Amino acid sequence: MRSRPESVAGRLARLGFADPVRAEELLADPVLTEVVGQDGVPAGELLAALGAVADPDLALLALVRLLEAFTADPDASGEDGRDRLRRVLRDGDETRDRLLAVLGTSAALGEFLERHPRQWAVLLDPDPVAAEVLPATATGSGVDPVLRRPLVAARMRTELLRAVGADPHAPEPVAATDLAQGADALRVAYRRQLLAIAGRDLTAADPFAAMPEITADLSDLATAALEAGLAIARAELPDGAAPCRIAVIGLGKCGGHELNYVSDVDVVYVVEPPVAADAGAAAGDPGSPAAGAVTGAGAEAEASAATGDDAEAAALRTGTRLAACLAKVCSAATAEGTLWPVDAGLRPEGRSGPLVRTLASHVSYYERWAATWEFQALLKARPVAGDLALGRAYLDAIRPMVWRAAERENFVQDVQAMRRRVEEHVPARDAERQLKLGPGGLRDVEFSVQLLQLVHGRADPQLRRANTLEALEALSGSGYVGRDDAAEMDRAYRELRTLEHRIQLFRLRRTHLVPDSAPELRRIGRSFGFLSAPEKEITALWRDRSRAVRKLHEKLFYRPLLAAAAELTTDEVRLTPEAAHARLAALGYRDPEGAMRHLATLTAGLSRRASIQRQLLPVMLGWFADGADPDAGLLAFRRVSDELGATHWYLKMLRDSRAAAERMAYVLSCSRYVAELIEHAPETVAMLGDDAELVPRARAAVLASVTSAITRHDEPEALLWAVRALRRREIVRTAIADLAGLAGLDEVGRALSDAAVATIAGGLQAARHTVTRRHGGELPTRFAVVAMGRLGGGEQGYGSDADVLFVHDPLPGAEERQAQETAMAVFSELRRLLALQGPEPPLDVDPDLRPEGRNGPLTRTIDSYARYYERWSEPWEAQALVRAVPVAGDAELGERFVQLVDPLRRPAGGLSEADVREIRRIKARVESERLPKGVDPRRHVKLGPGALADVEWTVQLLQLRHAHEVPGLRTTSTVAALHAAVAADLVTPGDAAVMEAAWRLASRVRNAIFLWRGRASDQLPGTVRDLNGVARIVGHPPGSAARLEEEYRRVTRRARAVVERVFYG
Amino acid sequence: MDRQQEFVLRTMEERDIRFVRLWFTDVLGFLKSVAVAPAELEGAFAEGIGFDGSAIEGLARVFEADMLVRPDPSTFQVLPWRGEHQGTARMFCDILTPDGEPALADPRYVLKRALARAAGHGLTFYTHPEIEFYLVKDGFAPGAEPEPVDNAGYFDHVARGTTHDFRRAAITFLESMGISVEFSHHEGGPGQNEIDLRYADALTTADNIMTFRSVVKEVALEQGTYATFMPKPFPEHPGSGMHTHLSLFEGDRNAFHEAGAQYQLSKIARQFIAGLLTYSSEITAVTNQWVNSYKRLWGGGEAPSYICWGHNNRSALIRVPMYKPDKGNSTRIEYRAIDPACNPYLSFALMLAAGLRGIEDSLELPDGAEDDVWSLTDAERRAMGIKPLPASLDEAIRVMEASELVAETLGEGVFDFFLRNKRSEWAEYRRQVTPFELDRYLTML
Repeated sequence: MRSRPESVAGRLARLGFADPVRAEELLADPVLTEVVGQDGVPAGELLAALGAVADPDLALLALVRLLEAFTADPDASGEDGRDRLRRVLRDGDETRDRLLAVLGTSAALGEFLERHPRQWAVLLDPDPVAAEVLPATATGSGVDPVLRRPLVAARMRTELLRAVGADPHAPEPVAATDLAQGADALRVAYRRQLLAIAGRDLTAADPFAAMPEITADLSDLATAALEAGLAIARAELPDGAAPCRIAVIGLGKCGGHELNYVSDVDVVYVVEPPVAADAGAAAGDPGSPAAGAVTGAGAEAEASAATGDDAEAAALRTGTRLAACLAKVCSAATAEGTLWPVDAGLRPEGRSGPLVRTLASHVSYYERWAATWEFQALLKARPVAGDLALGRAYLDAIRPMVWRAAERENFVQDVQAMRRRVEEHVPARDAERQLKLGPGGLRDVEFSVQLLQLVHGRADPQLRRANTLEALEALSGSGYVGRDDAAEMDRAYRELRTLEHRIQLFRLRRTHLVPDSAPELRRIGRSFGFLSAPEKEITALWRDRSRAVRKLHEKLFYRPLLAAAAELTTDEVRLTPEAAHARLAALGYRDPEGAMRHLATLTAGLSRRASIQRQLLPVMLGWFADGADPDAGLLAFRRVSDELGATHWYLKMLRDSRAAAERMAYVLSCSRYVAELIEHAPETVAMLGDDAELVPRARAAVLASVTSAITRHDEPEALLWAVRALRRREIVRTAIADLAGLAGLDEVGRALSDAAVATIAGGLQAARHTVTRRHGGELPTRFAVVAMGRLGGGEQGYGSDADVLFVHDPLPGAEERQAQETAMAVFSELRRLLALQGPEPPLDVDPDLRPEGRNGPLTRTIDSYARYYERWSEPWEAQALVRAVPVAGDAELGERFVQLVDPLRRPAGGLSEADVREIRRIKARVESERLPKGVDPRRHVKLGPGALADVEWTVQLLQLRHAHEVPGLRTTSTVAALHAAVAADLVTPGDAAVMEAAWRLASRVRNAIFLWRGRASDQLPGTVRDLNGVARIVGHPPGSAARLEEEYRRVTRRARAVVERVFYG
Repeated sequence: MDRQQEFVLRTMEERDIRFVRLWFTDVLGFLKSVAVAPAELEGAFAEGIGFDGSAIEGLARVFEADMLVRPDPSTFQVLPWRGEHQGTARMFCDILTPDGEPALADPRYVLKRALARAAGHGLTFYTHPEIEFYLVKDGFAPGAEPEPVDNAGYFDHVARGTTHDFRRAAITFLESMGISVEFSHHEGGPGQNEIDLRYADALTTADNIMTFRSVVKEVALEQGTYATFMPKPFPEHPGSGMHTHLSLFEGDRNAFHEAGAQYQLSKIARQFIAGLLTYSSEITAVTNQWVNSYKRLWGGGEAPSYICWGHNNRSALIRVPMYKPDKGNSTRIEYRAIDPACNPYLSFALMLAAGLRGIEDSLELPDGAEDDVWSLTDAERRAMGIKPLPASLDEAIRVMEASELVAETLGEGVFDFFLRNKRSEWAEYRRQVTPFELDRYLTML
């Protein structure tokens, strides 16, 4: 059967043209038909070649334009002329493949050729230096990279210097052109070389294998451009400019020989006067500000005579001119476009520092001021242009300091901060499509490799490499990271970098965003060789590699530790104990040896638990390290795991819920209190797996649970423990929510108060059971518990006692004395039961605010309260009653109590002057007497100046004086009362804000102290370590001990000033 | 170990130094010293040397009494009065907590924090102090009148004068310790001298002032006299001040200089002066920290009592010196209140913070004073908006108490300690019955 003849458009579509109709028109263009039609060269072959490139439509259009550009060029002959180009297109050799590949990938390079058609001929040469080496050293895939590298660098340098008319052999080449011409000539020569590199890149048999060579070629091209730029800058110097030696040091990707097609080129400059015999000894000009700080080393400084100072100052002036001009040459936009910005921002003192410095000035800066990240930047330093001897001297002086960076005092904190920077991922715009900074981006790989270099490079010179892939190879070669992990990372990095290159090539723009338009994705996908579904496949490749990189930390940082601890594999990782300790210490573990022991235990054996923990621990080690006390976190995890390791749900939760495991790691390493509660009752861990479980429950729900416990348990003891277990669950829930940032101070206070109230209700029931049993028959009186203090305000903290009053009311006909005895028995039993030592946390019920304080009877009848308050009441008692609210027992009795005390705490007409004075006097006495001896009042969160008591007394005084006329003040909540006082103009919004801030901070610190230490303390911790831990819980970044202390003292100092005015009047 | 540390260890070996004094400063500005043998020095560089911080005023709270001093090798100097060989050297130290963090109460760290804030603006702070002091005959007893060593006056050349020899010896010592002296001369009062140090960054200057005070006292003792930095030892003679020239640099460029502007003062300079004027009362308790300081401030002579600035006006609190053409980098301002008995670290930190606040808040500089401010009447000064500086330590404390700027710059701990210390000094002073009272009242009442 004869096949139907295929239409041209159909064939074009099949070949990969997106717009066959337009392609057909272009193919009919005379400039093309002259090439393909005439000598019987089958058009099909050129078409097929076009179809093989990334974007055939783009390539075809660019080809037509290139050929058209030649029509304006009457001379068709020559190596780079039209005729030769036509021959290449007809003959279909590798040169044609290179040309079409570039035209089909880079619109920018196509436009360049349209402007400078003869430049295509650079593609004739498969490799510019191939001819310069002995054939024997050339392998099938090209020239041995080690031999090739210096040749490429020299070749690029020669080409670019010649382009600006400078003599490449001169010690200080000077351009023969002016700035404008030179910049243009430089751009053309630069693009010509770029064209050659792109041609090699895009036709490489294995582009990922070729990636390091390509990036090295790009780096050498960039440094050649710096050299040519410097030659132009020299030509621009005014007559009589002082002579100077200048070295350009490449940092970042330029220094690492791993540059992109388009990116900033990071540099620093070193400048010296030419005559300086010994650059190292010149300690600088003691009179100039820059050197004023470093003249300490006495004898050496005297050596520099006045003339030397002048020569140096003059050289610095010339050097500054050269550097500024060089930057302008490279970054200015001319008719030929721009190269890239030269970024000197990594220099000492950053953008505010001088642009150029002497070697001694660099050295003294790095000795005195530099931060760890600056040393990280110096990892890649390499002299790239200018005076190479000076550059090497710089490197010799600086390198040793880089490798001592790990000895710096803040190294651990810095590394942690830098690591967080990697993990937190700059919330860049378009983060979704970020190839460089996004999660799993290129920066992740580079940062992690650099950090491992800094940690281990001190002891192991093998690791001192500037290039990311070489460093990764060295890390894996010496066993610091797993070989398979390194290989996977290496592959991901090469592929992601290649993706980045292809994206940048299109417009030669500095972009790290993966495009989202289909045609662009299609072009890039096809350039990777994905021909069937390029958009989908390239996106899949990207996502897949990003995921691989994202798991990088556990793999690169932690897995080797585990392997070392568990002696898992022998072939892969060979981390010595010293190296493992160094790494754990760098991650913030204070006791690396202990940590290694826990790791060994947790991962030993063949159990399902051990295998899941082997999977999980690498990443958990990082989470513990994020907490305030990594060692404690790891230890607590080990204990929980010992307890629950055999439990099915526990292992399942760990395995399936990353969020739960992360939360557990964080909570265990931040809070000894929660760790202890969880160790006692490991089943509480289940809450971590369920966000809904971490919402503090409403009071009604907690009370309902208590009621249900009451109906279930007849035995008082059983009921008691059930109720106390309920409270413990609520505390754990609240504490985890607190630590996880799911509950604020107000919710925490409410939840803890509710839990205490429910416990008291349950305890009261249990106590009644007991007494009823003992007593026999119905009890002769009714009971109510009235909450006071923070409990009444719904402001309980983790360590708060429950302040209460006990009230009872004999049943009609009951004998008063017997009723009183029964009530005493019930309330005593309630207190005993709730304070009983046992597995569940006790609740201390404190009735000290009762009439006559500790000397008064534990409870009274309501009538007795009425009589007492009528006859004896003191102002401080009225003040304590401000926060009274019935919470358990007989509701009607509670309500009667409220009726009884309302006139006291809201006295009609406010307080008398005498009462106000009395309250102020008592407060003044409390300030001097209540504080324990030897305690610094400024650190006492309860009784210190400006702390809790100060604010609460101030608010309560306002309530006593004005609640009769301002209904909003009739509340038990400190903050609500404060707001009401502002609304009623009793206190200015500014003063109220100051007091509220202090009250909140003191409350949060008090809670945090309890969570951190596991027991109550009203003092700001005295050790930096404890203070750091508390600061973390309050929400500060690591290492904020001093910051929290400053903040606390500042906030309370201001509050005290307000209290002195508002309270003392 | 870095190169400076190696340099120190090498020099110790070469010069056969037997002891190194580790110097640091307490909150009130008194020099403290721990001597260590050379063998301990390497450890001191690495980890610091422990001492009981609670014994030093204002330094540590009792419960974290263990503190560390860590020497700063760039400050290494051989002490000239201890002989060239088998001598003694000194280094200034940073004070650290046991965790190796900077101690918040270390005055050097207070200044470093303030300098870091300036660095955040790209600025470095330079100071140049003119230090005045009296030489009195040694051997005075408590209660007795001190006696000056000579009776010369301003710029007088005293033949074979004690002060002449004294200044030559002191300057030789200072120069040998790497402290450049700009200028020295006899001052207005009998036995009063002034020595000006060359300008340097503020931390170096503060270290130099500490060194200067001990060098001057050492030399004086060697010559059988006594040097005092007390701000006002003689009611009838001028007090001793420490006029300090201030400038900010941006890299190598003087940020105070703007060619063609009025007095060549840049906008930053004007804002800095405005800040310093605005906060001058708040920082006075620190720049003039003794009861006696106020006797100088309000005792006439050339001491500034009123808050104003002027171009080459020696009666103003801040003087803008005459501009020298083609010396753009020398543009500076002179703060005239501060006295030589201050803690230079804290004082410089506060002057810088006040000026920076002026820059940050873009404060407007009021008009400069052209008249002799002392000769104006109170009403005139009021009309011109010129306020007085605090008249006593008590008043200065009260102004400082309410100052957020001072609290923030010193840190809450130093702020609090300083206030408590000064309140008690004032309370003690108030209990005195002075000769003035006895002379005037005993017989009259």
